[in-house]
Amino acid sequence: MDAQLKRGLLDSCVLAAIRNKDSYGYQIIKDLKPYTELSESTLYTILKRLESAGMLTVRSAEHNGRLRKYYRITGAGTDRLREFREEWSEISAIAEFIIRECENDDKAGIS
Amino acid sequence: MTKQEFLDRLRRSLAGLPLEDAEERLAFYDEMIDDRTEEGLSEEEAVSSFGTPEEIADQILSEIPLSRLVRERVKPKRALRAWEIVLLVLGFPVWFPILISLCIIALSVYVVLWSVIVSLYAVDLALAVSAVGGIALAVRALLQGQPTQAAAFVGASLLCAGLAILLFLGCVKATKGAVILTKRIGRWIKSLFVRKGENS
Repeated sequence: MDAQLKRGLLDSCVLAAIRNKDSYGYQIIKDLKPYTELSESTLYTILKRLESAGMLTVRSAEHNGRLRKYYRITGAGTDRLREFREEWSEISAIAEFIIRECENDDKAGIS
Repeated sequence: MTKQEFLDRLRRSLAGLPLEDAEERLAFYDEMIDDRTEEGLSEEEAVSSFGTPEEIADQILSEIPLSRLVRERVKPKRALRAWEIVLLVLGFPVWFPILISLCIIALSVYVVLWSVIVSLYAVDLALAVSAVGGIALAVRALLQGQPTQAAAFVGASLLCAGLAILLFLGCVKATKGAVILTKRIGRWIKSLFVRKGENS
């Protein structure tokens, strides 16, 4: 997949995973597992990027006698998700067009 | 591989990374492993789901922008070691002349640029003087009763005056260009220092 596109997708993916409830690294990976296999280092990079862009905040909280980092979405992060939905309706319309055209070609026997 | 072994190996593989960066990543993996063992996985199982520490380090390093790594490398983290100072001193006869030569070459190029402009002005001045001289000669020739010669002098004078005016316009343009270039070079040199300042 195009790196730029994938980056935008995964950023929004992680934001969506924390949109209602603060979450932590492993939980995010588990939540996204059915859709995309996110490696730990990729998740780390995304979380860092979102944090420096002000789309989420990090806090450490105790859990079973150790510290765990929890990620919380900010107003900017929520805005980003809304933007994503708006952009996506445009992108999916284009994608539909591309797929439909290709299917037409397939039917006509052109590959 | 136990959690501790994994983290130790990862720490070693991340040696090229800025220190805080490496520590933060290690803490991240630490938490990830703990979260997995809490779910009932053994440390070995938890660690094996990540891949080898070296692979992870490779991926991490490939994601970090080159500029950041270079900056980290350029920034001295410690005082120079004795052998480095010795090398710098012993290498002085080699690196100092090269450094000076490079500076002088840059300076020469700059001087050559302005020399061209100065010579253009010189040519222009010569043409202007010739134009005036031509008029003087024409007047003298006329006084001596040689109108043909006088006309030739006037012609030559006009030609010189025309060329001088045209060349003067060119000179002004060239000067402006050189001034702009000078400013740009100045800004560039300044930017080198600004970037250095941000690092420290």
